[in-house]
Amino acid sequence: MFKKFNIWYTSSFIISFIVAIPILTVFTSFFEDTSNYFEILKQTFLAEYIFNSFILLIGVLLLTFIIGTGCAYLVSFYQFPGVNFFKWALILSFAVPPYIYAYSLTAFFENYGTAFTILKHLFGEANYNSSIPKFDGMFGAILSLSFSLFSYVYILTRASFYYQSQSLIDLGKNLGFSKTKSFFSIILPSARPAIVAGLSLVAMETLSDFGAVSFFGINTLTTGIYNAWTGFDDLAFANQLSFYLLIFILAIFILENYSRKKARYHSQTKGGFKQKEKTKLNKSNSFWAFAACFVVLFFSFIFPLSQMLYWTIIFPKNFFDLKIFDLFTNTIYLVLLSSSALIIFSFITNYGNRVSRSKLLNILTTFSISGYAIPGVILAVAFITFIAWFDNTVISFFELKSIKKLFIGSILGLVLVYFIRFYSLACNGIKSGYEKINRSIDESAYLIGYSKLKTFLNIHVSYLRNSILLIGMLISLEVVRELPITLILRPFNFETFATTAYIYASQDLLEAAAVPSLCLIMIASFFILLTSKYILRDNSE
Amino acid sequence: MKRLSILSILFAFISSFALAAEVNVFSARHYDSDIQLYEKFTAATGIKVNVVSGKDKALQKRITEEDADCVGDLYITADAGRLGAFQAKGMLQRAGWSKAIKDSVSNNFRSAQWVGIAKRARIMYYSPERVSANDLNGMTYEGLSDPKWKGRVVIRKHNNIYNQSLVASLIKNNGKTATATWAKGVVANMARDSKGNDRAQILAVAAGEADIAVANTYYYALMLSGKKGAEQQAAAKKVMPFFPNQQDRGTHMNISGAGMLKHSPNKANAVKLVEFLLTKEAQEHIVNNTFEYPMIAGVSPNALVPGADLSFKQDLKTSVKSYGTKQADAIEMMKAAGWK
Repeated sequence: MFKKFNIWYTSSFIISFIVAIPILTVFTSFFEDTSNYFEILKQTFLAEYIFNSFILLIGVLLLTFIIGTGCAYLVSFYQFPGVNFFKWALILSFAVPPYIYAYSLTAFFENYGTAFTILKHLFGEANYNSSIPKFDGMFGAILSLSFSLFSYVYILTRASFYYQSQSLIDLGKNLGFSKTKSFFSIILPSARPAIVAGLSLVAMETLSDFGAVSFFGINTLTTGIYNAWTGFDDLAFANQLSFYLLIFILAIFILENYSRKKARYHSQTKGGFKQKEKTKLNKSNSFWAFAACFVVLFFSFIFPLSQMLYWTIIFPKNFFDLKIFDLFTNTIYLVLLSSSALIIFSFITNYGNRVSRSKLLNILTTFSISGYAIPGVILAVAFITFIAWFDNTVISFFELKSIKKLFIGSILGLVLVYFIRFYSLACNGIKSGYEKINRSIDESAYLIGYSKLKTFLNIHVSYLRNSILLIGMLISLEVVRELPITLILRPFNFETFATTAYIYASQDLLEAAAVPSLCLIMIASFFILLTSKYILRDNSE
Repeated sequence: MKRLSILSILFAFISSFALAAEVNVFSARHYDSDIQLYEKFTAATGIKVNVVSGKDKALQKRITEEDADCVGDLYITADAGRLGAFQAKGMLQRAGWSKAIKDSVSNNFRSAQWVGIAKRARIMYYSPERVSANDLNGMTYEGLSDPKWKGRVVIRKHNNIYNQSLVASLIKNNGKTATATWAKGVVANMARDSKGNDRAQILAVAAGEADIAVANTYYYALMLSGKKGAEQQAAAKKVMPFFPNQQDRGTHMNISGAGMLKHSPNKANAVKLVEFLLTKEAQEHIVNNTFEYPMIAGVSPNALVPGADLSFKQDLKTSVKSYGTKQADAIEMMKAAGWK
């Protein structure tokens, strides 16, 4: 069949290409040679960065695995007071970005911090500082990231437990397995693909984290790239680091894809789905299950929220000084612009893929969604580098008007980089929705005389309404929490809750950072509550 | 519809730069009090101040990449080391500072490209319970490497700009070899691996983790002011500030300053803004909000700041310009000494 010029094909090709640009930039600038400013020290730096990234990764993976699967197991298999509440409340931790968690942790445990105040009120004046544990440095970063990210593991593992076949568990019972044995030899192994998928997401977020890690002053590959690039203009070293980071991430990406495929396979074989019976716990076990879930909810959500509330209350001036309305409109403005752009264009590429069935386009789409794997801070700098390069070579060659102002420090540029960063989220979401619509529906539509556009608008869009809502919420959540891209690319006189919180914190005014942090947590919680029904889909299927 | 709205936003954004009287500030110093000052400036002159704030390096990178298209006029940041380093990259231009500016700011706190707008000192804080007057007699920055301080010193990480500038000043005065040895001695004396900000160093002395800390002057005043809560106010009272090197060159001084960006489109307005920042009114606003020292004569620092009577000897011999030029050496030296 001849492939004629096709508007769907062309537009989805262009979108995928644009999203792929930063990755191409990182690789092509690999050959540029710049300064040898710190030549002697580079090898020690490199070893330190890799070591720190590795330790951070291992620590976070271990903690999120334990917390995530533990909670998922409890709420999926047991009946105890509050289980239905915890089921969704545990996702609230998503509302607290790692950097805000880091602020709370420091504020509470530092010398003469909140913990000190509490102890003093309870037991009177004394030097409690030496007996208060200090959660800073690497340990602080591991805690901040783990409590903020464990939800990925929790959500995916819980879904997998939910669809686990009852007969498999019955089998264990018939074989006389104890609860522990059947957990380790049946339940956990069969949920492995989901756990690995959750952990891979955690790993990507951990490796690309900038806010929490830089707050605790840990040199990881991500902060190293940022410093080499911005501080020393040492593109060569930055690229060397990026290369290592991308290898880390690529390995995880492949692992994730692989296990996702398996997860799909697994859930398809479940055959007749049978509602699992939850084990009713006796009184003391109920208490322990409740306590475990509560502790997790407390540390992941209530603790940072209370610390921020406490500050807002004792330093009310910060609340009244902040231009909350402006920050709110700016934040929501970005949310609306980027989520609508992402959803519309993901629809176009997915539809283009569907109608054209082109291999090339498929590959390009796959390639372009890896934007999510590139740390935001690197994406932002790569974007600036690319625009500057493009402007200096192509645009000035044709003697056109400079495009830098259009893209750097403008809403357009900001939304474009959000687009690149969160494209995979939108694209994959729409794609998985599309996979459920049988192609024969399209063909039937064409047969009764529907045009492609009409098929798209009347059939696909209405079919995918729920997916769109869910994706919109997820993107909104990401945009509200997003920090490095906004910080680097935002226009003059434009702040969001995230940038305001960060700026105060970097000025050592953590208590002033409380109000914007609190607002951010509230907005994010709102989005989570709206979405929770879709994330924890039990009753809908 | 969507594209239309993006376009209209775009136009609104670009046209906002077409207004006549304005000055664009890239600021790594993002105090709310600075914004209030800019508003006062606008009220007085009709010149609108547009601000984008952020971390230094990110701002510098953005300015560098935007190059000739950068609409920024002034780059405002804390630490002469940053201004100097940025100047070395060729990103600042000769500002043509007015006579008013030159008259109020002494030569060692400005260059042709940048000028100080407030001062701060990097001093020591000690525990009066554990450190005697005799211990501190004639104490200098150089003295921090004395073995008598073993396990008693706290100071933040090597990547901190204030430390880089302090070490740069030591290199300028004592040379590379002596400073390299000094850095090793300081690391050997540390009570713990470097961590936390300046305030955390002062708190460590208050909490008994260490006996002597190095931190900037305004942090201590911030704690004393109660803005950080009652506990920190009480903790600050447990330590005493100390101004080192009083018998020789004086205490290490640094600035917050403004640099004229290379492609500044509103140079005259930028000079006007700096002139305004150096007026008595603005300086009083600065010293009472950020707890820095005034740049001009005739304004008193806030009473909470150590050395508020300005009777201590400032190092006016070592030009703050050297902080930028010796920065790379300073980093390398600290790193080589195992300074975290």
